[in-house]
Amino acid sequence: MARWKRFRAGRGDTLTVSLAEEELGLLRALPEQLRDVFEEPEDDPARARLFPRAYLDPTAETEEAEWQALVGPSLLRERLDALQLITVTLERAELVGDWWQIDLSPDEVQAWLGVLNDTRLVLGTRLGVTEDERVLDPADPDAGAYALYQWLTWVQGDLVEELL
Amino acid sequence: MPVEVQEPAIEELTVTDKPWIVIVWNDPVNLMSYVVFVLQKLFGYSRKKATRLMRQVHEEGKAIVSDGPVEKCEADVARLHAHGLWATMEHPS
Repeated sequence: MARWKRFRAGRGDTLTVSLAEEELGLLRALPEQLRDVFEEPEDDPARARLFPRAYLDPTAETEEAEWQALVGPSLLRERLDALQLITVTLERAELVGDWWQIDLSPDEVQAWLGVLNDTRLVLGTRLGVTEDERVLDPADPDAGAYALYQWLTWVQGDLVEELL
Repeated sequence: MPVEVQEPAIEELTVTDKPWIVIVWNDPVNLMSYVVFVLQKLFGYSRKKATRLMRQVHEEGKAIVSDGPVEKCEADVARLHAHGLWATMEHPS
């Protein structure tokens, strides 16, 4: 019997993703959470992680400001487009057996990859994640967010494996 | 009549021509496989080269992933940021 895979090649150049009902709910909540982060002040650490500066030299303020003015709006627009795209795909989920399934086009796959990664960057920044895995007490106030982070890591890892 | 030729200002030329570099920094969130995927996608690097750069980022804390004129590096940094990698650019002096 074939090993269960979250992402598998579908018709044409699509990838089919399989989700449990609760997982579908988790993903549906992500776009709004990320939109909130985009609207945070520029010095918010999570926002700054998604939109870092380009010039390493802290005195290159003029160059940095010009670069931000040049690419900032399109970097934000791309992220908003990805949120829109993932939202549309999640609305198409169909129950097949025990799993909610969605066929994703290559563009939709890239949107998924971006949203999964951005959410992990935000959660990772807010939780102060390091390269060492943490074991959290279920009563820890961060336990829910950390569980979500770990689940997103798993899903994104499966997706990248399928694409590499 | 001998013409006085000015020596080319080699030092200045070198400084002007020296490319900018784009650096990707290690971070605890981005997956190693994802970094390889992004470097292949953005720069067309082979799996081998992208993996070598990813390992350098992971083990040494940073790696130079591209270089060139300032405009190219600004564009490269923007693409890396769009994909969530932590990248900066600088001009080696």
